[in-house]
Amino acid sequence: MRYVVGYAATARGGDAVNLAVALARRQGATVDLVMVMPEDSPYNGVYPPVSGFDDILAQQVAQWLDEGLALIPNDVQAQAHIRRGESEAQALIEAAQELGAQLLVIGASSTGLFKRFSIGSVASSLLHAAPIPVVLAPAGYSRTDPIMRVTCALGTRAGAADVMETAVAMAKSRQLPLRLVSLVALGPGDSTAGVEQARTHLHEVAQGTPGLGTEDLDRPGVEIVVGKGRSIEDAVDELDWEKGEILLIGSSRLAQNASIFLGATANRILRALPVPMIVVPRNHKPGPSVPSPVAHQNPEAAK
Amino acid sequence: MSTTRVADSGLSEKGLKAGSVGLIGAVVIGVSCIAPAYTLTAALGPTVSEVGVHLPAIFLVGFIPMLLVALGYRELNNAMPDAGTSFTWATRAFGPWMGWVGGWGLIAATIIVLSNLAAVAVDFFYLMLAQIFSDPALADLTLNLPLNIATTLVFIAGACWISYRGMETTKSFQYILVGFQLLVLGWFAVAAFAHVANGTAFDATTISADWFNPFAVESFSQFAAGVSLSIFIFWGWDVTLTMNEETKNPEKTPGRAATVTVVVIMVIYMTVSLATLAFAGIGTEGLGAGNPENQGSIFAVLAGPVMGPFAILMSLAILSSSAASLQSTFVSPARTLLSMGHYRALPKSFGKISPAHKSPGYATVAAAIAAAGFYVITRILSENALWDTITALGLMICFYYGITALACVWYFRAEAFRGVRSFFFKFLAPLLGGVILLVMFFKTAYDSMDPEYGSGSSIGGVGLVFILGCGVLALGLVLMLIMYKLRPEFFKGEILSRASQTDNL
Repeated sequence: MRYVVGYAATARGGDAVNLAVALARRQGATVDLVMVMPEDSPYNGVYPPVSGFDDILAQQVAQWLDEGLALIPNDVQAQAHIRRGESEAQALIEAAQELGAQLLVIGASSTGLFKRFSIGSVASSLLHAAPIPVVLAPAGYSRTDPIMRVTCALGTRAGAADVMETAVAMAKSRQLPLRLVSLVALGPGDSTAGVEQARTHLHEVAQGTPGLGTEDLDRPGVEIVVGKGRSIEDAVDELDWEKGEILLIGSSRLAQNASIFLGATANRILRALPVPMIVVPRNHKPGPSVPSPVAHQNPEAAK
Repeated sequence: MSTTRVADSGLSEKGLKAGSVGLIGAVVIGVSCIAPAYTLTAALGPTVSEVGVHLPAIFLVGFIPMLLVALGYRELNNAMPDAGTSFTWATRAFGPWMGWVGGWGLIAATIIVLSNLAAVAVDFFYLMLAQIFSDPALADLTLNLPLNIATTLVFIAGACWISYRGMETTKSFQYILVGFQLLVLGWFAVAAFAHVANGTAFDATTISADWFNPFAVESFSQFAAGVSLSIFIFWGWDVTLTMNEETKNPEKTPGRAATVTVVVIMVIYMTVSLATLAFAGIGTEGLGAGNPENQGSIFAVLAGPVMGPFAILMSLAILSSSAASLQSTFVSPARTLLSMGHYRALPKSFGKISPAHKSPGYATVAAAIAAAGFYVITRILSENALWDTITALGLMICFYYGITALACVWYFRAEAFRGVRSFFFKFLAPLLGGVILLVMFFKTAYDSMDPEYGSGSSIGGVGLVFILGCGVLALGLVLMLIMYKLRPEFFKGEILSRASQTDNL
């Protein structure tokens, strides 16, 4: 398995590396740090003409990648790659596809003052186009120990089953507890009937999921929770979040088949979420986790 | 650790996608770098003030040194494609001291043009507001000194921010921008000639063959001043000659594009300057092109009377072209400063690359601060900031172009006499061009000491243009000596060594 990190020599690039390490640990996955060199448009009309910047930038990027590799502990395989592209997001997607990556990890912008997640332009493009699951590291994510629990957020609309399947596959392969949550925003005076409906819906989806029998639902490894609050953000706050937890969420119905489009609710969840989030493309099927040929840690190989 | 180059991945030496620009695209890029709507409004008035009706002649003659130098530029660019800029070329040819000075000249020229571009954009921004709301009072807001300075700083900051974020201009955007500029300039010329034909021109003047005779210019001083201004109007044309791998046919496209670009530009310059002279004459009253009031930005005054309600298109064309140039011009001084920081010719911070945007962060902000500072100083000291900055800019271009041309001659000295082609392109053309430009530089610099020079602003009996132009160069020399004291490695040739073409064979 390979996890591609959209690396940047910033704090959020470090967040992404930490999260990728956490995900890769005990999975035998390789972490691929990818940096994208911008491809200038000749139509920028830069005058007086200057060359030489590209060389200096290439040296700098190579150095940044070495620093990035140095963040990765020895028990995790890692490689570094330099890509080219006009659009950084597009280049990352292409790199992930060529490398056969299962996940694309990226740090959320660190510029948001009050929010843990504020999405930078590259992350935002990925969240609206990527054909593989995109993992967002919250600002300041420093934990590199393995993931401890998988939470799957489900809406009431069609498509819930796909995310569910992915979450179940992930929890099973990692032998982790699974939590299914639904988030309900209640105005003052609203009846709590919505909460019950949500709970029933979660049970229905869970029962319809292949690989998850009715009996599993009663086991301590699987938990069903409805988060409620005056807003979606409140509902997220209300839930308890463990260290080392990760949230899976599906794409909006606006997504094209097999790609991501971050919906409005997901966006609101993101604003309040204290843990990393995986956004799963629409109609995504969790692939069998075939271990890729083991690559040795070699910073030179990719350059 | 070795850092192997990655540029062989279908990219040119400049990080541009290889083989992506055709002939028309290259011409569009060439015209956009010249930004004819902006250069004409900025340079036409000051040139008329020097050479009067011989404007067309000076525009034609001014192209010759530009062509000669550009030929040398192209040879350097082919020989050292990855080394860029006057700074590294002059360092390779003449050693670190001259390299530093050449790099400073280029940076100074671009800083000056940035402040002028922003100022022109601001003038036309307020003019356009006045035209949109049919309230002439809005156009006069640009005369309010604090407001004008504040708006200009906002424009500079905006362009700096865009450049810092590393945003890209798309092909279609550039095509629209260039097409619109040419269309509006053509419209202006046709409308002006129509007024002349209908007898409604301000001061209908009959075009005469004498206007094309450069030898009819009264004095050598005026000639030199005119030529150094017209270097500015062609500044940008040589970008086509430095294109290589990014074109679809690197053998032929750059040369053809340069030819087509110069034809297009000459046609537009000739038509517009003849139209302006025929419509307004060179009288010093009212709309006359000789009126000092009009010379800072000629179209701001003439577009209304000539184009009527459609004058707003001229405002839009100049605003868009100067704003676009403002943004794209930031890249050049920023990358030169970065390169100087990288080679330790400047403090190391200049060599910092923004990790988030992969742009020369520190250097871009430094360029913006310098441009803003230059504008504020000029604006406060000068009676006509636009006019004086353009004149100082002409000086600066002559200076760094001259040095670069001579760097070419010296760098290729070993092969100057190996065949006719080498002799012409690597020796004769750059030598002539360089000498002409340096003569223009010294002559204009000397003349500009006269307090009456340019817009007539002066400090302590010395012309402001001299103080601006030579002050900036002197500042460079001081900074160079400080750098030498602080970090002598670069100046000892330990970082970028001197070379000539034979060393590299």
